[in-house]
Amino acid sequence: MNDRTRTIALGLVVVIGIACAALLVRGLDTMRPPDDPNAIDESLYINGKTARRISLGFNGLAADWYWMRSLQYVGRKIINDNDVPLDNLGLLNLKLLAPLLDTATTLDPEFLDPYEYAAIVLPAINVNEAIRITKKGIDANPNAWRLYHHLGYIYWQQHDYQAASEIYGRGAQIEGAPPWMEAMKAKMAADGGSRATAREIYTRMYEESADEKVRDMARRRLLQLDSLDQRESLGKLFAAYKARTGKCPSSWKEIEPVFRALRVAVDASGAPLDPSGTPYVLRAGACEVELDPKSEIPAK
Amino acid sequence: MESTAAITQSTTRTESRQGKLWRIAAIARNAFREAVRDRVLYNLVLFVLLLTGASVFIGELSGGQERKVIVDLGLSAMLLFGVFIAIFVGVGLVYKEIERRTIYAVFSKPVGRGEFLVGKYLGLCLTLLVNVLVMGVGVSLALLYVSHGWDPLIPKIWPAVLLIYMELMLLTATALLFSSFSSPALSALLTFMVFIIGHFSADLKSLANSLGGSGARWLFTGLYYLLPNLSNYSFITPAAHGRTPSPGFLFATALYAFVYIAVILAAATLVFSRRNFK
Repeated sequence: MNDRTRTIALGLVVVIGIACAALLVRGLDTMRPPDDPNAIDESLYINGKTARRISLGFNGLAADWYWMRSLQYVGRKIINDNDVPLDNLGLLNLKLLAPLLDTATTLDPEFLDPYEYAAIVLPAINVNEAIRITKKGIDANPNAWRLYHHLGYIYWQQHDYQAASEIYGRGAQIEGAPPWMEAMKAKMAADGGSRATAREIYTRMYEESADEKVRDMARRRLLQLDSLDQRESLGKLFAAYKARTGKCPSSWKEIEPVFRALRVAVDASGAPLDPSGTPYVLRAGACEVELDPKSEIPAK
Repeated sequence: MESTAAITQSTTRTESRQGKLWRIAAIARNAFREAVRDRVLYNLVLFVLLLTGASVFIGELSGGQERKVIVDLGLSAMLLFGVFIAIFVGVGLVYKEIERRTIYAVFSKPVGRGEFLVGKYLGLCLTLLVNVLVMGVGVSLALLYVSHGWDPLIPKIWPAVLLIYMELMLLTATALLFSSFSSPALSALLTFMVFIIGHFSADLKSLANSLGGSGARWLFTGLYYLLPNLSNYSFITPAAHGRTPSPGFLFATALYAFVYIAVILAAATLVFSRRNFK
């Protein structure tokens, strides 16, 4: 066997060998029992403090890894239900999210995005953990006014408007904090449960967040608030219609002239459009409208 | 007559000092060439591939944190690759010369053992400097790519790069010290342990403070001051947040590295000069 033949033969062994190995892996994949769906929720083996201690100066990279793992963990759970807003993931059993975010923030306490994620996503899963992690962020970054905004948001969600007002007040005193933090303090104290306060908080969240998912959640919540206003107005129209005719409209066509007169946007069937552009659904005979399940506006 | 003798003596001393520096420079140059011939700098290819992959794909995985991840990943890889080079090349610097018996040829010339060690050390430091500089430029380019233009983080990573380089210089000196009296495998293990313990310095101190017995407290306090405190050189995470160390801190860490390296090289020369190659 001369040199050339030997080279070709060895090259063929390499190529064919790799092809055979790839085929074998494919075969093994089909033979392997399916993954345990609960395996994804296995507890973390090490806590944040231990992880930081053994990270040997690579704690920033380790924090990035835990952060990306948090995103993947949530992403994998919502992959089948993409319409669920980020702040309403309570039914997805995301029990590992709090430890993941806690570890990421222990490894890199200045990493602000995990705190924001904890403040937005965690309250629906474990509100105490959400508060604890956000407070931890404030302790580590006392000059980050956004963290006060996040903590105020959690308290506002819990209807604890007094605590929310206090937190906004503390955040407003930080150098560089925007003037609306002070306004939010007053709004929370005077009118925390109102729709106007909700609109203000989601508008600020939409404007301030760098996270696309958080911005999208805030946008959908703002649409929801607009939709609530719209549905109230439609309810009044129905009431007036009922007072005039003695019955609720059974189809959109019946009430379409009223919409036209009031310049309400309607589709071809005469149904008014919600703020996302999807037609409302008429509950015939009940004088009520509902969001279409296909609408991107969250029902809750 | 006396003044002529003094001038002659002084001239001889200056020439001898210059000769010493030239010999050290020649050994350092050869050590650098040897490292390049041994394809040590090939790790840069792996680094570039890693950063390129990260720049392209990390945006989707990190939720908009690609700049931070690029800095963390780039500087961590710089440290990790540098540590491997410092340990595995550092422990072989002297050993290879003894194994190949080229050390006899070196010492048959007017080269001191200390000069030989310092030359070898500086040669590897030069290799690491090239490595670190190219990697720093790589991280900067990756930041330019992900930011689609100038990124204010770019100038802020360089103090962290300097601190990483100082840490690598310390580790190289440690590897050289161990390799002056033990086998490469043991030297690599001991140097790696120093790297690990060096990053646990804060724990050593808190352990010393928390211990009741005065003997144990003295032992751990002693270890804290004796072993190199490498945690001072970890500035990767703050750099990723755009923070830079103060000039005073940089100066103090550089001074610490200089003093510690001088101590280690002196100890290595002491051990090496007593070593019998027969």
